[in-house]
Amino acid sequence: MFGTLRDLIRYNRSFAVGLALIGFILVIAASSFFSPYDPRDVYLHPPDIPPSLAYPLGTTSRGQDMFWQLSFAIRNTLAFGLAVAILSRILSLTIGLMAGYLGGRTDRVLMSINDTFIVIPLFPILVLFYFVLREQMNWMLLALIMACLGWAYDARLIRSITMSLRTREFTEQSVFSGMSTRQIVTQEHLPYVMPVVFSTAMNNINWSIGLEVTLSVLGFTNIDTPTIGVMLYWANQHAAMVAGIWWWILFPVALVVLTFIGFFLLSISMNEYIDPRSRLRRMGGNG
Amino acid sequence: MAQVERAGPALEVEDLRAWYQTRYFGVEREVRAVDGIDLRIQANEIYGLAGESSCGKTTLIKTIAGLVQPPLNLLSGSVRFRFRERELDMHRARKSEVSSVRWKHLSYIMQGSMSALNPVRRVRSSFIDFAFRHLARSKAEFDDLVIRHLDRLHLEPSVLDAFPHELSGGMRQRVAIALATVCRPEFIIADEPTTALDVVVQKRVLGLIREIQREMGSSLLFVTHDMAVHANLTDRLGIMYAGRLVEEGPTEAVFREPLHPYTSHLIDSLPRIGDSKSKQGLGGAPPNLADPPAGCRFHPRCPLAIDRCRVEQPAFVEAAPNRRVACFVVNPEAG
Repeated sequence: MFGTLRDLIRYNRSFAVGLALIGFILVIAASSFFSPYDPRDVYLHPPDIPPSLAYPLGTTSRGQDMFWQLSFAIRNTLAFGLAVAILSRILSLTIGLMAGYLGGRTDRVLMSINDTFIVIPLFPILVLFYFVLREQMNWMLLALIMACLGWAYDARLIRSITMSLRTREFTEQSVFSGMSTRQIVTQEHLPYVMPVVFSTAMNNINWSIGLEVTLSVLGFTNIDTPTIGVMLYWANQHAAMVAGIWWWILFPVALVVLTFIGFFLLSISMNEYIDPRSRLRRMGGNG
Repeated sequence: MAQVERAGPALEVEDLRAWYQTRYFGVEREVRAVDGIDLRIQANEIYGLAGESSCGKTTLIKTIAGLVQPPLNLLSGSVRFRFRERELDMHRARKSEVSSVRWKHLSYIMQGSMSALNPVRRVRSSFIDFAFRHLARSKAEFDDLVIRHLDRLHLEPSVLDAFPHELSGGMRQRVAIALATVCRPEFIIADEPTTALDVVVQKRVLGLIREIQREMGSSLLFVTHDMAVHANLTDRLGIMYAGRLVEEGPTEAVFREPLHPYTSHLIDSLPRIGDSKSKQGLGGAPPNLADPPAGCRFHPRCPLAIDRCRVEQPAFVEAAPNRRVACFVVNPEAG
């Protein structure tokens, strides 16, 4: 495990860069725990001060210190992305493994549900959820909703892998040795799909952060919890663009773009690592 | 080991019929892969099953092992195992009964057992997954047992910590055999376990299989299309053609004096030292089992075919002591 990590850092430039970026983002997010302020307090500082020694990233028009505000925002945004990724991984693993292994009618029922989720337009549905729930809407509920909408592509991927595993000899032998279906799926097939799950999880984090930012900027979420999107929402509300408060827009956008690039680099480098062709070359032969 | 006297054969297969039945858009198709098979295997016996590809060998042993899944359906017949402690009707017993017998009393070396190991798990995990439950030992005892068993197959204990791709083909094959025999099963089914190996490794693996079988006193049902392997290993030989047994007898006798014309061809195809004339191939291909020919299924390719073969199906009956054959030419009473 650690050997793999070391090799990836040493021989894969994009993995090293991605890891450094995510590390940097994580440090900023972790610094929120040492913040002297509550993120919801406003008018603690003189508003609209450009980046300076006292306020390295400036202050907002609402009298908040940009740096601390940003650290809370990125922490919530990351937590949101992770929550969606973990919840949707659980869904896509369960459904993908079940459909792929059991096949037949189970497969047909699950995959028609799956395909429905692939084709329904997400954004209008999320906006609809906001209008229906409004007061009850918080980030945990939103994460749950997004997870329920975001599992379908990867469930299909996992299903296809499991379908091919099902026909291999070792599966037949497991059946013959008297292992139960649950044991076969969790002990024999799950380790095989895990790398794929890790790689798609990165993409899923990016996808959910992107959607969350979009919704928040438009004000379709709970605007009291600071996230990157909510920060941009307030910046728009105070007409930061027109007033020339460029730091209120630039820093959140830069931070979220770095997050995207970080996860994207991790995802493609892991993809390359688990790709069968590169796997074969690493094993050095016709494995 | 004290052998408890058994009441009868270790395995009794009666009138077994297993067909692949599919139905696509109203078009029904039946492939009669196993069509009326009778056979008995005694305790402590190596029974060989031979026949060219696509004659139903693998389907037959899958049915015997109880691995019948749609589109394969069991139409009639029974498969009865007689183990030391109990009897088991494979297709009528309760599921829990069948699975309690598996691996412990009845094990299966799969076709292409080179890939019988999970590529992403260490060999040790495979042993734990497949065998640990059946042995009722503590973890340390189990480890000890596995290592001793591997040693018997000339494998280092270090293979337990290897991934399958780190082992050579011969080692993987031996690991697969170790996996199938670690619980000392009374009945082992082996489906072409040595086909993918070169002759040197093949010879060693066959020697090991035989050694283990002798030592444990198990019965072995050994399937391969390679007649040379049968000549070396098996006690009794059954020849399959197009889903049916056509000849059966002690291996030596079958090789010395084959009765069925198909068997003669199979044996003639073996090269012999000092043989100078080129081999005569048998024309044609095995029949399509979805639409088998009427009468004897071998008649379109048979050099001895008579009119009766085209209409009537010869029964598989005893033609000489311990020899059964299904052919009108050899045994006119087969009707």
